[in-house]
Amino acid sequence: MSSALQPSSAPVLDPITVEVIGAALSSIVEETGEALIRASYSTNIKERRDCSTALFNAAGHTLCQAEHIPIHLGSFIGIVPHIMKLHDLAEMKPGDVFVGNDAYEGGGTHLPDIVLAEPIFVDGAIAAWTVNLAHHSDFADRGHAHIYQEGLRIPPVRLYRAGQLQKDVQELILLNCQVPRERLSDLRAQMAANRVGVQRFQALCAKYGTTTVLAAGEALLDYAERKMRAGIAAMPDGTWRFEDVFDNPEITTNLPLAVDVTIARDSMTLHFESPDQLRAGLNMTYTALLATAYYVVKSVVDPTILPNAGLARPITVTARSGSVLNCAHPAAVNGRVQTCQRVSDLILGALAQAVPDRVTACSNSTCTVATFIGQRKDNGAIWVYLETMGGGGGARASKDGLDGVHVHVTNTSNLPVEALELEYPLTLLRYELVAESGGVGEFRGGMGLRRVYRADEDCRVRVDVSRLRSQSWGLLGGGPGGNGHVECGPGVTFDRDNAVLKAGQWFAVVSPGAGGYGPPEKRDPKAIQRDLAEGVIGTDTATTIYKA
Amino acid sequence: MARWRVGVDSGGTFTDVCLFDEEDGRVEVWKVSSTPDDPSRGIAQGVEEGMRRVAPESGDRPGASVAYFGHGTTVATNALIQHRGVRTGLVTTDGFRDLLEIGRQKRPDLYDMQADKPPTLVPRDLRQEVPERVRYTGEIDTPLDEAKMRAAARALKAADVKAIAVSFLYGFIRPEHEKRAVDILREEHPDAFICAGHEIAPEFREYERLSTVVLNAYLGPVMRRYIERLTPRLQGLGMTATPHLTQSNGGVIGFAAAADMPVRTVLSGPSTGVVGAQAIGTLAGFDELITFDMGGTSTDVALLQGGQCKMTSEAVVHGYPIKAPMLDIHTVGAGGGSIAYVDAGGLLKVGPRSCGADPGPVCYARGNEEPATTDANVVLQTLNPDYLLGGRMAVRQDLAREAIGRLAETLGLGVMETAQGILSVVTANMARAIRVISIQRGHDPRDYTLMAFGGAGPLHAARLAKELEMKRVLVPRNPGILCAMGLLLTDLRADFAATKLLPATEDSVTEVADSFASLTARAEDWFAQEHIEAAARRLTRTADMRYAGQNYELAVPLPDGPVTAATMHALTSGFADLHRQRYGFVADGEPVQLVTLRLEATGLVRKAELKSYPDAGPDANGAVIGQRQVWFPEAGDFVATPIYSRDALLPGNRFAGPAIVEQMDTTTVVPPGMKARVDAYLNLILEVTA
Repeated sequence: MSSALQPSSAPVLDPITVEVIGAALSSIVEETGEALIRASYSTNIKERRDCSTALFNAAGHTLCQAEHIPIHLGSFIGIVPHIMKLHDLAEMKPGDVFVGNDAYEGGGTHLPDIVLAEPIFVDGAIAAWTVNLAHHSDFADRGHAHIYQEGLRIPPVRLYRAGQLQKDVQELILLNCQVPRERLSDLRAQMAANRVGVQRFQALCAKYGTTTVLAAGEALLDYAERKMRAGIAAMPDGTWRFEDVFDNPEITTNLPLAVDVTIARDSMTLHFESPDQLRAGLNMTYTALLATAYYVVKSVVDPTILPNAGLARPITVTARSGSVLNCAHPAAVNGRVQTCQRVSDLILGALAQAVPDRVTACSNSTCTVATFIGQRKDNGAIWVYLETMGGGGGARASKDGLDGVHVHVTNTSNLPVEALELEYPLTLLRYELVAESGGVGEFRGGMGLRRVYRADEDCRVRVDVSRLRSQSWGLLGGGPGGNGHVECGPGVTFDRDNAVLKAGQWFAVVSPGAGGYGPPEKRDPKAIQRDLAEGVIGTDTATTIYKA
Repeated sequence: MARWRVGVDSGGTFTDVCLFDEEDGRVEVWKVSSTPDDPSRGIAQGVEEGMRRVAPESGDRPGASVAYFGHGTTVATNALIQHRGVRTGLVTTDGFRDLLEIGRQKRPDLYDMQADKPPTLVPRDLRQEVPERVRYTGEIDTPLDEAKMRAAARALKAADVKAIAVSFLYGFIRPEHEKRAVDILREEHPDAFICAGHEIAPEFREYERLSTVVLNAYLGPVMRRYIERLTPRLQGLGMTATPHLTQSNGGVIGFAAAADMPVRTVLSGPSTGVVGAQAIGTLAGFDELITFDMGGTSTDVALLQGGQCKMTSEAVVHGYPIKAPMLDIHTVGAGGGSIAYVDAGGLLKVGPRSCGADPGPVCYARGNEEPATTDANVVLQTLNPDYLLGGRMAVRQDLAREAIGRLAETLGLGVMETAQGILSVVTANMARAIRVISIQRGHDPRDYTLMAFGGAGPLHAARLAKELEMKRVLVPRNPGILCAMGLLLTDLRADFAATKLLPATEDSVTEVADSFASLTARAEDWFAQEHIEAAARRLTRTADMRYAGQNYELAVPLPDGPVTAATMHALTSGFADLHRQRYGFVADGEPVQLVTLRLEATGLVRKAELKSYPDAGPDANGAVIGQRQVWFPEAGDFVATPIYSRDALLPGNRFAGPAIVEQMDTTTVVPPGMKARVDAYLNLILEVTA
């Protein structure tokens, strides 16, 4: 028996109490995130931190999201409403935990992101939800013509019922996974994280009173909305259009993408145009598009706005249903983060016309991914290793772009070489910045990265990368960034998007560089000399482009 | 004869000396200006003057009466904050020189696209790659190319580096390549400070280890030069006691060890303050404390729950990851010497630029014309407008007033409003620092007592408490020298660790026993080197454990006695308990691993015992030494305010704000709306009037 608590007769709170509770909510989601990372087994969570945690109010609005991976918001904002649609609130009990991942029936954005959501009961009613997402690196070596090829689709169902594990559900999930031991352990870590979320939130309610906490939650949403509106209002009114293309090993032609951003007083509208959805894993669900737009707008308008649902109120996002950027069942979505990255830069390109000092030139504009899969020689178990690579960060109006970093909607760590080689039959031969890959300009674009792998056992590698046939644009006279590509050692052939590696063969992935900002002739001669000394540019670039 | 225990805390602005008589428990304090060009000068001067006062019988060998010398320093921290380490070279495994820049490939701020990473301490052209490769198993995949290593050493020497870090993959598992590289570097560049990953941070995760060893090299020559200057100066005073230096973990080590491992001292100064605060807070009956240590150049804050400050084994300090045991302390670059200015947007800003001890604030009349926080206090007369340091330093209020007047003109405000504005900005900055360690970690500052120390802490504490709605402020008897005092309350401490992946089963008994035996042997060497008597030696053993597959460990204490099968069972059940407590589950049947075995060696020292005094009743009038006009924002004007002498205040005394309490090492402001009382240990406790 339960009902959702609504902060109806909200008390009026002083600003300090609101701030203290707001900070306490942030520390709860950070703490749940730490519990998830520390208890997990898979390299993708324990070292690369490809996971997120959040708290939602009883109505399903984000109260607070941890500072992990912005795109994960796309899965969070979908799941609680789907749970409420599929399950009777009155039947929910303390200790119920829902698991889900589906892009069409579960509010997810791609199948490896498995979400665990648990209602938090205070005084017999649901006061909030603790939700976490872990990117399970599984469902590898699949087709991407439609979502049925991409892995197991899980609508939100109970994994725990009143604290009791639903073993049959768990077994069904695990049998569909390639690395079940890791999945089981990571699901346990996700449970541990939710447990922390429940306990901490209940303690917060015990300390301040549930009505005060819920009222503070509402006040924080209003506060984020006010800050967003004030920030937008300080920008010039108008409509700005920007166009770019998207390319990837999965597709043979460049996809045209466009956005119109309209600022009208204190609100902003973003309308996206893109071709019909693809028979490739590059489509974006609407919630992925929302999460991307919220991330970019917050970063440009005011990075300090609290990451909650209030900031979304002044923002309207539209795109044609059935198009790449707002796909419909049964479009495949596994590689949606590539497209999200391009969309981020698309929005920046439009906003550059309104507020050129606040944006960056185009970043590497993708999330370069290498996924290795093989079978252990000793016991035949399947192993899957997924890693994402940073690339160039776009140059800024007054400084160079960041070299070799994750940009925009993702921000995962690399896996220490000393962990990689211990866990998988791979050796990392080189990990370096790519000379000449940062776009020239008064301020240089960030450099891409190069990783060279040696297979120590036979395996297969799949690569998602972009800017193979296009380049990341510079701003106001800045040059474009270097291309992304793969390099094959002797005997290795890269076919479309994957390659077979025999033990002893090597293979390399290069992520794209970023665009420069301002004309190269205006670059400080000292900066050019430093780039030369550090081997960031060659003498040719120095003499022909910078005229140094 | 040698009966004085001496603690010296050398800050950016003042050098504090605390002297404790082992025989009768007397505590004396002395304070001199720091000498930032060569801090050892100020330290020697402080020790000399302090010892002459307490032990005049020692004549021209004032150091001869020193039985123990403990020292906390900000040398390493300041060099790091100001990026004033030496020109440093790096040698890495072929293919990995850029790791220092790439780090964990995360951007510095999730949403702020204008944020930057801290500068890379070794530029790309001073990062040399050498062919060599050890496997995670310890096998050698590629032997060290000695010819290329020698060429790298020569190139770095030719580039005139003063320090070189060596960090190879898996150097912590099999260090011979690193050792050979160090040998070659010493042959080719004997004058350079050289250190390697396996010596400084022999633990898994190559980037964090690399960052730690690079920082150690970058700071090495700075610390070495410092110690090489200080040692003869102390010897020149006739001191024969072994000098000690505090580490970031709150324990002390000998000078020689500190010179090799400067990276372990980046929180040297502040950690002693926390140790001192911990002792005094517990004694006074307050163990939920937020410490507020405001000095001339920087301010450190920490949170103590149940009287304890959390320890971390890895932290990011000023943007750089460091693998070393550290107290959880948050530092901001602002203090009494922070300079106030009007920024491009027309707003009043304070810091992070500081006028330091020399030339000091405008009121010191040593040539500085930009007003500092201290100048604002002198103009408002919260600080004595005529002299500081108990009369030893005259100040020029007229100069301070002129300087703030210039700022006031730019802002279009009155002089007093501008002076008060400077304090408001400082208070807001400090409140933000405290929010980081309290609110952001889920602790409500209103549940804590603010413990104010450092030369400027008590001056600003009441305003800060008000901003954060904290009800109580504790000002220890000698707030200006609490860090120095902490040095006399600190045990000697060294940490030894061995990373070794072993199953937590009976099969590992021999290896675990052997590992602890060799760690114990190292600890015994250290005890001998530090001249610690057998009765004062303590060893604590812990094992970092995890389920095979996890990458984060839980530290499980070992039971006493020899390592046997029973020890292993105690470890696994201890691990299960901790895991359940932390994560709410136990993975039955999953294999458990031992990752790092740790031995903490403590040499107990006789600590200064603080005396308590009998109650002398509430009447504080006997301590009033005068009255002056002090500007309070509550009145928007000068208010006639009584001045109390801290030295004359007795236990039980009570008085109400507005009031000013002066003592040699600090000034305490009791604003209107607060009352003050003195406890049995002569701490001053300010509370909001109900």
